[in-house]
Amino acid sequence: MPVSALQAVSKSRNGVGAFILQCKRMEFNFCDWAGSSKGMRHDRSFLKHSLPQFAKENPQIEIIVAPRPNKIPIIRGVYINGREKVIAVDGLEIQQILQKAQLLRDSSGAKLKRITKPVISLNESVRGMFSPFHGEKHVI
Amino acid sequence: MKRMRCAGLLRDQLLPIRHPSARMFPPHHIRRTPHFTATTTTTTTTNPRPLSTSTRNRNSATTTAPAPVETSNPNPPATTSPEPPQPSSSPPPPQTAPTTLPPCRSPTTSAKLAALHARLSLHPKFPVQTLARALIHPSADPNPLFNNRSLTTLGSALINYYATEWLLCTYPRLPAEVLRAALSAYVGAKALASMGREWGVESAFEPRADVDAGLLQFKRLPPGPEVEASGYKWWQEKGERWTNGVPEEEATASFVTSTFAGVYLHEGVGPVKQFFRQHVLSRKLDIDKLFNFVQPTRELSSLCSREGFEPPIARHISETGRRSIAPVFVVGVYSGLEKIGEGHGGSMNEARIRAAVNALKGWYLYSPAPQVDLPSKTDDDPHAPFRPAVIDVGEVIV
Repeated sequence: MPVSALQAVSKSRNGVGAFILQCKRMEFNFCDWAGSSKGMRHDRSFLKHSLPQFAKENPQIEIIVAPRPNKIPIIRGVYINGREKVIAVDGLEIQQILQKAQLLRDSSGAKLKRITKPVISLNESVRGMFSPFHGEKHVI
Repeated sequence: MKRMRCAGLLRDQLLPIRHPSARMFPPHHIRRTPHFTATTTTTTTTNPRPLSTSTRNRNSATTTAPAPVETSNPNPPATTSPEPPQPSSSPPPPQTAPTTLPPCRSPTTSAKLAALHARLSLHPKFPVQTLARALIHPSADPNPLFNNRSLTTLGSALINYYATEWLLCTYPRLPAEVLRAALSAYVGAKALASMGREWGVESAFEPRADVDAGLLQFKRLPPGPEVEASGYKWWQEKGERWTNGVPEEEATASFVTSTFAGVYLHEGVGPVKQFFRQHVLSRKLDIDKLFNFVQPTRELSSLCSREGFEPPIARHISETGRRSIAPVFVVGVYSGLEKIGEGHGGSMNEARIRAAVNALKGWYLYSPAPQVDLPSKTDDDPHAPFRPAVIDVGEVIV
């Protein structure tokens, strides 16, 4: 019997070859009437002054601006892994809203979790597991 | 008094509600924008080709894209000018056509499509019209001028060639079965579909005339028990079972393959090789995990006799806990004085078999230390310096 093969699928390593930004869509919602949307809207408008620049810098993201009447303004990021993240930006100034938008853009969309190990890798450890049978023999 | 008030309140609340049979106005969704109703009637009743109604967008696509794939012309009188046909000069559209389409239907105005183009870092030479065409699976639009079938054919030839040559030059001694498994792990339908999902491609629920141009369009399989894989006969073309619909995986894979073809057509040979390296070869695959040895010790001894090495001998190197619940033995396989493999196991026999597997993998996974030149290096320049790959005699026949 010659050698046979097992079926497998290669795994993606985003950023090793090509980098795909994980945020694929952002929705900016605001209310035309309420004061909490002031930073988003007319007078100190994020939508008017910052958003065009933001959209130009990030062409990978589909940007949607839609009214959300009688509710607080939000920014919603939709990610490639299927999840979405929402940040409420009520009462924020134009610069603070921009920071929130950048936060959503840079997020991977994964749930936040505490990282305790210094290295996360698909590869096996180079050194391998400790073996008592190799290396120099310890003399007592 | 209290009772009266309650009754009055109830009557007020009940006032606006009418019995459905006594409804004076049609339901609000019928009275919406005209394009909505036109589209629904079109796609549900009379139109045999769901996407064929978007003639306007197609015209703009054929004229603006310099692609060779876009040169064929479905409506010669209408496509001569880049502007949409004037109502006075051209005959009025048939009654079945939707009167207006949402702007996202056109590839040039679809935000999703532009975002996808930018996300893949495609060159501006790659027009969005080709990307839009790559998103239309033949099950959504059987007309070969508008679906991605030709692109898929070209793209799959390209990626299979590049993957094969890379694998053969990097691991010249790979057995044929393992080579095939590695190929499918890199450019098989599953790998391509997962790549498409990682590119953020979304699918339309149904192929329709007013679907966003940035959505993948295909006819879904009807719900029910899983269709057997061999839905078509060997003499049929793969496309002939598309009448039923296709799984999403297949449609996504066809989009990814067509994107490679688009890069090749619009940007050239060098960029498509780079695109392939970045998106396919950068993926992680442990080729040593693909081997499934049945009789490794026999295979190793026939390998040694074929290559003229001394017959392999397993030797005990060390052990611990022989009489405990968890013994460990370390066994090495030696050909003459040279150790060609080593393994550990809970018994001597297990360790010996592991050692043989280790030795065989060491042979089959040989890779020339400085990477040899791939044959496709001479695509651009036939006189480029070229270092040929090692050609192996082949796997061991046991």
